[in-house]
Formats: sequence, structure tokens, C-alpha cells
Amino acid sequence: MHIPDGYVDITIAVLFGALSVAILGLAARRVGRTVPERRAPLLGVVAAGIFAAQMLDWPIPGGTSAHFVGGAFAAILLGPHLGSLCVATVVTIQALVFGDGGLVVLGTNVFNMAIVEVYVGYGIYRLLAPYGEFRAAFAAGWLGITAGALTAGLQLGLSSAFEYQLLTTLSIMGVGHLVLGLIEGGITAVVYRYLARARPDLRPTADAEVSLS
Amino acid sequence: MNSRPAWLPRALAVLLLLALLAPVFGWAAGAVGYAEPLENAAEATGAVDSAEAVGIAPMPDYGVAGLGSAAGTFVSALVGTALTLVVAGAIGRLLGTDPDAE
Repeated sequence: MHIPDGYVDITIAVLFGALSVAILGLAARRVGRTVPERRAPLLGVVAAGIFAAQMLDWPIPGGTSAHFVGGAFAAILLGPHLGSLCVATVVTIQALVFGDGGLVVLGTNVFNMAIVEVYVGYGIYRLLAPYGEFRAAFAAGWLGITAGALTAGLQLGLSSAFEYQLLTTLSIMGVGHLVLGLIEGGITAVVYRYLARARPDLRPTADAEVSLS
Repeated sequence: MNSRPAWLPRALAVLLLLALLAPVFGWAAGAVGYAEPLENAAEATGAVDSAEAVGIAPMPDYGVAGLGSAAGTFVSALVGTALTLVVAGAIGRLLGTDPDAE
């Protein structure tokens, strides 16, 4: 899911980079001055947990592999605005320190994983939560990562390196992550249920600042 | 300042456990042949050769020069997790600081 430099046309990289900066700026303003002091270490721990969990490549017999991205998980636990800043921090460190994802396309990768996955995942969670939090968290992780994969497929399919084969990139990215996303959904739901039971005070509803509006 | 919540030591232990697991999962994923949909899409369209490595990354591909694959992955997991903890924690404190409050 981490796009390297050279895959996406510069115009697309600039466009999505600017979009990411604008949306993260708005997110920071939304959470700014409203994060209770006890939430600061929680942001650090959730981001660090997502970084570490992203290093765990789950082997799938048949020659594929997937890792947890954590966008929907961060959104459910921290709220969408703090969640997007959380995942953006992870994606930035991955690119700068470990060369995972390009630098020119950093904003593009942030858009897919820290914005689309986070906000789509959160929207799905809010929509389905009345029917059961476990199911809602599962669907949020599953469809959130699929949405992020589709925007990645769009960016790649509109780029010259992929010969503008939009249908090919959208179908491979979309279908691929729709299947692999079941793991994302499973981890999101299981870990969230564990945390919600072990530490109900850490649930987003415990703080008033976490809301979609 | 109540900056160290009671759950922090347990959370740090979980992070350490995840870092320890990273080389194990890395080996297992390598055993089945690691390929993401992104790589499949690049192969299907002939884009593979267009990828450019980021030159400035000090620990490229989650490895450490001079260390073996498993040790390098573990050190990368440890360094990356600690760095993320510090940076994201600082962002949280920065956003949470309100000098005009109260």
C-alpha cells in the first residue's frame, strides 16, 4: 500500500500532497486545544502500536501477504481527526527513516492511509455501531482499507508509469485489498473489543471532543 | 503533572512484544513469498522499473547495515516504535497544551 517514488505522476503527487496538508491542518485545528492532557500519551502509544503492528506481515498461503494498516482502528479509538494525525505520523516516519513509501509521494500515501482509511473507516463505524460495536469495527477496518486501496488505484491508474491502465489498477488494488481487508477488519474488531472491555475509559465516547461534526 | 498514566508500563510491554514478533512474521511472510496488490498492479502494467528508492532513509527496508535480517528487523522495529511513540506523544502534548485554559 506504500507507493514508492516514480509510480505516480508529479502532478498527482502534488495535488494529493496539497490535499493532505490542507485536511491534516483542518484536523489539527479541530483537535487543537481540546485534547485532554491524559490523551497525549494515548496518541503516542496508539501510533507506536500501529507502527509496530504494520511490521507484522501476515503470511497468506498462495504467495501473498498483508499487514495491518490501522487507519480505522486509530479513528475509532482516537476520533477521526486525532486518528488521521496519528497515522500520518506513522506513514511519515516509515518514509523518512525506513524508505517505506516515497518522499515525493508522501502526501499521496498519507492521503490514502491516514485520511481516506481513517475517515471512511470512522464513518462506517459510526453508521454501523448501533447494530453492534464489534461488527461495526470489523466493517470499518475492512472497508476503510479497501477505500484507501481504491484511491491508491486511482492515483496509479492516472499515472504514466502504469500506462494509464485505470481499470487494471483499480481492480487489482480494490479486489486485492477487499480480500486482504478481512484481516484488517478482524484485527481492528478484536483489539478494539479487548481495549473497550479492559479500559472502558479509553473509549472515544469517554471524551466529548471525539465526534464526527 | 499527571503525564504517566497507570496503563503506560503495560502498553510499553505490548509494544516490545510486537517488536520481538516482527522478525518472526518477516520470516514467515518471506517463506510464502511477499507480494502486495500494489506490486501485482505494477507487474501487470509494467511499472515495476519505475520505482525509485528513497536515498536518504538511514534504515532502508527496515534493515540495519552489518546486522542480519532478523536482528536488523528487530532493531528497526524497536527504533521505529520508540521514535513514533516520542513524536506522536509530542504532537499529542502540543495539541493538548492550552495556555489560555482555566
